[in-house]
Amino acid sequence: MFLILKYLAKLMKALASEASPSQIAGGMILGMIIGLTPFMSLHNFFIVVLILVLRVNIGMALLSFMIFSGVAYLADPLFHSFGVWLLELEGMQETYGSMYNNEWWALTKFYNTVVIGSFVTAAVLSIPAFPVFRILVLQYREKIQAKVQKWKVIQAFKSTNLYSIYKTVSRVRG
Amino acid sequence: MRLGGVITILVLIGLGFTAAYFITDDWIESNVEYQASVMNEAKVEFDGFEFSMLNLKLKWDRLQVANKNNTMENTFETGETEFSMQFWPLILANKVVVNNVKLTGFELATERETDGYFEVPESEADEEPGFIYSVVDQVAGQAQKNAQVKFTEIRSDLNVDSLMAKVDIRTDDKVDSLRAGIQQTYTKWDSTFNNTNINDEIAQINQTIDGINVQEFKDPKKVLSSIEQVKKLKDQVDSLRNRAESLKQNFQNDYGTTRDEITQIDNWIQDDFQRAVNMAQLPDLDVQNIGKALFGENLLGDYAVYLEYVALAREYGSRFVGSDEETEKIPRYEGVDYHFTDKYDLPDLWFRNIELSGKTLTGIAISGQVTDISNDQEKAGEPIRFHIGGQDENKVNLSLNGEFNYLKDKPRESFEMNYSGFTLANTKLSGSDLLPYDLQTGKGNVNVTLDIVDKRIDSRIDYIASELSFDFASAGEPKNQLETLIRRSIASTDQIDVTALVDNVEGPLRIRLRSNIDDLFMNALRQTVSEEVAEARRKIEAEVQRQVAGKKEELAAFKSEKEAEIMERYNAIQEKIREQVERVEQKQKELEEKKKELENALKNKIKDRIGIDY
Repeated sequence: MFLILKYLAKLMKALASEASPSQIAGGMILGMIIGLTPFMSLHNFFIVVLILVLRVNIGMALLSFMIFSGVAYLADPLFHSFGVWLLELEGMQETYGSMYNNEWWALTKFYNTVVIGSFVTAAVLSIPAFPVFRILVLQYREKIQAKVQKWKVIQAFKSTNLYSIYKTVSRVRG
Repeated sequence: MRLGGVITILVLIGLGFTAAYFITDDWIESNVEYQASVMNEAKVEFDGFEFSMLNLKLKWDRLQVANKNNTMENTFETGETEFSMQFWPLILANKVVVNNVKLTGFELATERETDGYFEVPESEADEEPGFIYSVVDQVAGQAQKNAQVKFTEIRSDLNVDSLMAKVDIRTDDKVDSLRAGIQQTYTKWDSTFNNTNINDEIAQINQTIDGINVQEFKDPKKVLSSIEQVKKLKDQVDSLRNRAESLKQNFQNDYGTTRDEITQIDNWIQDDFQRAVNMAQLPDLDVQNIGKALFGENLLGDYAVYLEYVALAREYGSRFVGSDEETEKIPRYEGVDYHFTDKYDLPDLWFRNIELSGKTLTGIAISGQVTDISNDQEKAGEPIRFHIGGQDENKVNLSLNGEFNYLKDKPRESFEMNYSGFTLANTKLSGSDLLPYDLQTGKGNVNVTLDIVDKRIDSRIDYIASELSFDFASAGEPKNQLETLIRRSIASTDQIDVTALVDNVEGPLRIRLRSNIDDLFMNALRQTVSEEVAEARRKIEAEVQRQVAGKKEELAAFKSEKEAEIMERYNAIQEKIREQVERVEQKQKELEEKKKELENALKNKIKDRIGIDY
């Protein structure tokens, strides 16, 4: 419970001012790629490494991963169809053949309809999504943040004992 | 760059490797043991099992594969064995491909310290035994034939009554069971003909026809609609006729099978007779059976053991083959894999080359090569081949070469085995009382060739015993004339050649066994016990015939009677249908005439009205 609370609070703080809009948008993009594509894929290992190593917002990456996993669950048949189309492209067969014969490429499981369909979709989406997410964060800070702070839910949340304990612990930990 | 993140990754990787290092051996060992035991239907156990994640190397100190038919024995066991699995097929396609295996300490049929029983889960339980096992049973049965006969004790004063009291005459029970089957079939068809709705439909058609009163029709439209109605009735009657015909056809097919069974009665009687003859230990005195009596038990017994190994190979081979009917399911969120080349189109399990060494039960050190053991020979593109051989210090040789080929539609097993140079000194050539003498000297040579294609078997065993000298002295003086004649016949023989042929190339399985001394023995038997044997057989045959006399005729009469009853029912239905056809056709004719009559009347009326004759 404390952990969830901690991340919720961090999320709100991140959205408020602590992290830069680019760090938040970066986290969201990387979380989105993991969420949209099958989790146990080689590229996701590298994305997780990037999340841990780069200064992107981890909480936002987690939130984004959860949201986009749900989206992916619904979009799975579309990814499959898109993957079928991609893998059956006439002009790409030779390239696919040599990629398939190369063990390192094969390790990415690019030859799976859902993997390639979802990965290409996620990669293409991330190009416009990064500036969009960045703008959204800025807009939030500018126009919505103050209103959100006044929401009764947030007020109620801030008045809970758990939140007080969290604040105290955070202060003590520095 | 976040330093904490880098450290987290390194710690996670370290933890993963440490856990894998400590857990994998036991986990893999228990899984492999379980799966292999399910497949073998008896325990498969490893000792000193080790698995290295770094180079995918697998090693064990001892492997025991229990024999499911005798769980205190291993079908085979191996000593220290080591191999490495190929990395990419395992990682990318979950395929275990092994290029080279060094397998030492291979031994067949070793004793176990513990019981190798394994309870196969119900869902994994295997189906009926296959074709080769049925051949094993037949060969084993033939091996026993005449083997227990005491030729030297055959007498003509056989007490048939006491013998028949012991013999279980089965023809009676089988005939009763067949009779019950015929009765059951009769009841089923009786009920089918009783409950068929053909009679109801006939009644309904009758009623409809009766309801069409042609004479009362004044309106041509009414006539036309009735003609349509009658046409439909005609179709209905045709359909009834077809249904009745089909009922008759099914009935005749059903009853036809019992006809075949009745012809089996003669075979059952023959079986009873043969059982009585066997119980009386009376041999069939022909040259073929002398060969079986002399050498059948040893030679065919060993052959049955070799066949069991082949049966085992085919059983495993067929168990590996997947069903073509399996439809490809696409689990949610998993998609479909496109295979652009056949690079990973490999068997799930493939041992390309096994260098094998070990020893036989008789202590011959053997070594050799077994190639391409796989669960899918089509994908491997190669059959299992084996070339194993060895020699001991006494120059006794063993070689075994062959192929188990499941690449084509029909499975094929073929091999050639040669075992030569073994000593026969102080052994007996045969378990039969015709040849009870120990050998002072002798060398043996066995050559077995076997070729099985699906259910066609062709095999040959050549056994040559040479440099023979019999120890008549320790057997004492001959006890009867038969013994004297036999001793005289074989004293001058220093080589015995036996050939056994087991095949079904020209029909049912034939097991023939001939040797160069059959005729010698046959002559000796003709001069001594053949009259007694013939007389005893005649007595038994007469008694069996007396007990089962008339059974076949009685059953055939019963069957014909029941068949006639059903056919009578069918004929009655057929007659009713024929009547309906006639009535419908008659009604149709009447309607056509009425139609014509009304048409003419109408024409006349018009002519009268307008005054034109057209």
